[in-house]
Amino acid sequence: MAQNISPEHSGVDSAKQGANSCAAKHGHAVSKRLQKELMNLMMATEKGISAFPDGENIFKWIGTIAGPANTVYVGQKYRLSLEFPNSYPYAPPAVKFLTPCFHPNVDLAGCICLDILKDKWSALYDVRTILLSIQSLLGEPNNDSPLNAQAAMMWADQAEYKKYLDAFYEKHKDT
Amino acid sequence: MDIGLLWFEISRSFPILSGNVAITYSDDDSHHQRCKDIISLGLSDALSEIVFSEIQCAVRDKIVPLFWSNFPIGLGITEQTIESQFLMFHQFASAVGNLQKNVSCLEIFIERLNKLDPRQNIDSRKLHAILLKTLLGQMPTGFNEVVSAFYCVAFQIYIQMYTNPTAVLTDAELIMNKKECSGCKNEMNGCECQNLDILINKTNKALREMELLDGIAGESLTLLVQKCIKGHIKETCHGIFDRSFLRQLEIWLDETIINWLRKIFSHVCMHSQTPETCTSNIIKGFKVKLTYFLYEHLALSIIEQFFSIIIDFPDSIPAIDDLKICMEKIDMRKHFIRTLTNTLKVRVLHPGVNTMDILTGYIAAIKAIRYLDNSGIILETVTTPIRDYLRKRSDTVRRVVTGLTEEGPTDLTEELAKGESSKENAKQDTNDELNNWENWLPDSYGIDQTARAQLINVNRSADIISMVVDIYGSKELFMNEYRNLMADRLLTYLDFNADKEIRNLELLKLRFGDSLLHSCEVMLKDLTDSKRINSHISSDTKYKANKIFDISAFTISAQFWPTFNKESLELPDEIANEFEKYTKAYEAYKGNRTLNWRTVTGRVHILIEIGQRIIEMTVSPTHAIILYHFQDKDEWILEDLSQITKVPSTILRRRIEFWISHDLIKEIRPGVFKLVEDDGKKSPFEKTQVSQSLGEEDVESAMASASDQREEELQVFWSYIVGMLTNLDSLPLDRIHQMLKLFASHGGGIEFTQDELKNFLQRKVRFNLNPEIHVMYAWSYAYRSARKGHWESLARDRDRFRKRIENTSKFINPILTPEHRSFIYNTRIDKNM
Repeated sequence: MAQNISPEHSGVDSAKQGANSCAAKHGHAVSKRLQKELMNLMMATEKGISAFPDGENIFKWIGTIAGPANTVYVGQKYRLSLEFPNSYPYAPPAVKFLTPCFHPNVDLAGCICLDILKDKWSALYDVRTILLSIQSLLGEPNNDSPLNAQAAMMWADQAEYKKYLDAFYEKHKDT
Repeated sequence: MDIGLLWFEISRSFPILSGNVAITYSDDDSHHQRCKDIISLGLSDALSEIVFSEIQCAVRDKIVPLFWSNFPIGLGITEQTIESQFLMFHQFASAVGNLQKNVSCLEIFIERLNKLDPRQNIDSRKLHAILLKTLLGQMPTGFNEVVSAFYCVAFQIYIQMYTNPTAVLTDAELIMNKKECSGCKNEMNGCECQNLDILINKTNKALREMELLDGIAGESLTLLVQKCIKGHIKETCHGIFDRSFLRQLEIWLDETIINWLRKIFSHVCMHSQTPETCTSNIIKGFKVKLTYFLYEHLALSIIEQFFSIIIDFPDSIPAIDDLKICMEKIDMRKHFIRTLTNTLKVRVLHPGVNTMDILTGYIAAIKAIRYLDNSGIILETVTTPIRDYLRKRSDTVRRVVTGLTEEGPTDLTEELAKGESSKENAKQDTNDELNNWENWLPDSYGIDQTARAQLINVNRSADIISMVVDIYGSKELFMNEYRNLMADRLLTYLDFNADKEIRNLELLKLRFGDSLLHSCEVMLKDLTDSKRINSHISSDTKYKANKIFDISAFTISAQFWPTFNKESLELPDEIANEFEKYTKAYEAYKGNRTLNWRTVTGRVHILIEIGQRIIEMTVSPTHAIILYHFQDKDEWILEDLSQITKVPSTILRRRIEFWISHDLIKEIRPGVFKLVEDDGKKSPFEKTQVSQSLGEEDVESAMASASDQREEELQVFWSYIVGMLTNLDSLPLDRIHQMLKLFASHGGGIEFTQDELKNFLQRKVRFNLNPEIHVMYAWSYAYRSARKGHWESLARDRDRFRKRIENTSKFINPILTPEHRSFIYNTRIDKNM
């Protein structure tokens, strides 16, 4: 995927001696882009998703998504952590659920199985689209490649699933 | 020789030995004889000791109490009237006279003792010392006032007799003089000044001879003279600032006070040295002290009135000059700063004073204090409270800007005009500073270190305009306000004379630089440009052909103008079409540019025909549109009108008030307005008056105020704060501030303090407007369950444990009694033994 290759890295792999200065320069560009994304996100009026840098480090964000309406997840609030690599946006950020999430494509450690965070990543995505994708993933799981097999199996019966989900959150309330 | 006879002789020579103070004159021969006898008997030492101790006794028990008995105790408490003053004067004079008589007797004894035995070095000085000590030891409380009363009279008489009356007395007093002598307060023809003067001289002489003058009268005399100086300063200098008084006062001090003192103290020293040098020494001491006192009190008097001096500034320079000289001699900075700060606080810094007046005071204070103290330290310290206060007033910037640009001479316009030359001199000044290093003065001491630290960064040579602008600490804010005001002026008076404005702008540019005022320049250019565009479009034949009424547009470049406020107004189609036509013509003229109409701002010239009235008016668009809608429909409900015009009903109501006040519309029911067709009783005179008066809101600003803009800025940060807090739960204030600095600082960075942020956030906190009420039922079950807790189990355990102890003790207690123990011991152990 050509667009996922950083222009600075294409063909200059051999130039290792300049890697450090290059990384620093690149890091600045990344933080600039992240700052801009932050501004867009803050100015956007979308309800239900939000993110903000966690502390002084702009490469580490905390995100919040609300469970989408008309799904079993409605009324829930999920915290996520987003860690941006130095090669962002040419590489996807590492996104994990901080709040335990019972979902076919999320394992109990919070790892997410979502194509756009892996092989389908594109430099055109940004924090906002990532969060929106995860939000919609909650309502429409991909049961073919489950990380949480129990959830995938239960998904078919939504009423039962909802009951289990409520019990699950009652149990994890304190954490 | 018979001892008895000898004693008799001695008693006759020294009657004091038998307790008699009065002198009996014994002839010298017999005295001489007795002396020889005593010396031959070797009794001289003993005798002189006895006599001297008797003298001491007499002084202590008789002479001094006799002297004091002249002055009833508590006399001084009553108020001093002229009569009582004279009474005291005579009392004192006669008392001193008697005292002198008695003392002179004792002096004779001393003299005789000396003859008796010349080796004994007893002289009258010792007696005088004893007398002074005893007098002071027994002094009643009110005595000082008697003395001061005496010298007060003496001084008045001195003034009357020895100084040229015209120099001291004003005309009014001269008229008084015809009836009464100001010296002795007697009828002029029965003036006793001469007699009194002789009495005074006599008393003074007596005191001098007894060496009591300094001891008894010194303190009162100093007080009197100081009082006199204080009074004189107040009399001559109070409230007059346009003359210098220092020299005049010094002359007065020298000619009047010092001369008088010289008269009192002359020949004070009878013994030792020559009297001349002694007197001059005393007088010199007095003079130094009194000159200091004079300076101090002059300075105090000026400082007290410094506020008035500030207000009268250019005229009050002589007074400041005086103060300058005084302050060189006496360090009064602290007092000065404290007093002036207090006065300013009381006189200026309260809500009752106009901002404009405070500013005027501030400017005058800068000028006056700078004149007084070039280093700027006093200025900084004194004016800081004023600046702090002005910063709190919302209209300060506006007032400053108005002051700068207003017609007619104000302090600020003058300063601005002056600014041109001072700017040119600025470079020279820096050179001067280097050349003038010999005249450099160190900062004065007496300013505490914290204040000093603040002052380091202060530009001492800042001129008045920058001092005024610095109230806010930033030129930008000030220039923004200037821009807003200018925008208002340009929009209000469309036939604006730009020349004066351009001149002001040029002057400001000299001072603040081009970059800040660039947008103002564009605004002025817009004005001329729109005139040109207007004339071009109105000459356009196609446009001219189908227009209904004249439109003259003021085309502004929104980029450079301040933000407008958010009022809106929907035009009726008929009028909107006309604007559309104008836009078309503009588009044709300017290529790919178009116009966005701002319908709220501007002026509408309308001709109202209603009933029999024809009124010609110039009103704001909103007013015109309201009336326009009344053309088709006589009666409007406020909400409907508000919907059509898109003007919020509150504002709309305010606008309608204008027409109500002109008797064109009236409110028939709350919220329902009706057109008034018949005018009936209106006189033509009132009509013309009506057409000229403009509603108050006509001068309302079309610009968003600075605080509104600030609010908008903060609103941006608000969304950041919301984002921050949704994701990071809760954060302390300083952390929020820091994060905003880090992440929200695109384009110039954040320019607010933590306090401002705190205020802003606190405004966001409020109680739920629709509170949920949770009723707490007070039934016993709930009560009990509410009281359930850790303590309960503790109490239960305590109870259980006590019960167990009680149960066990039934069995154990009898075993542990001494009887039982001894019984067991006896039966078991003793038996075995």
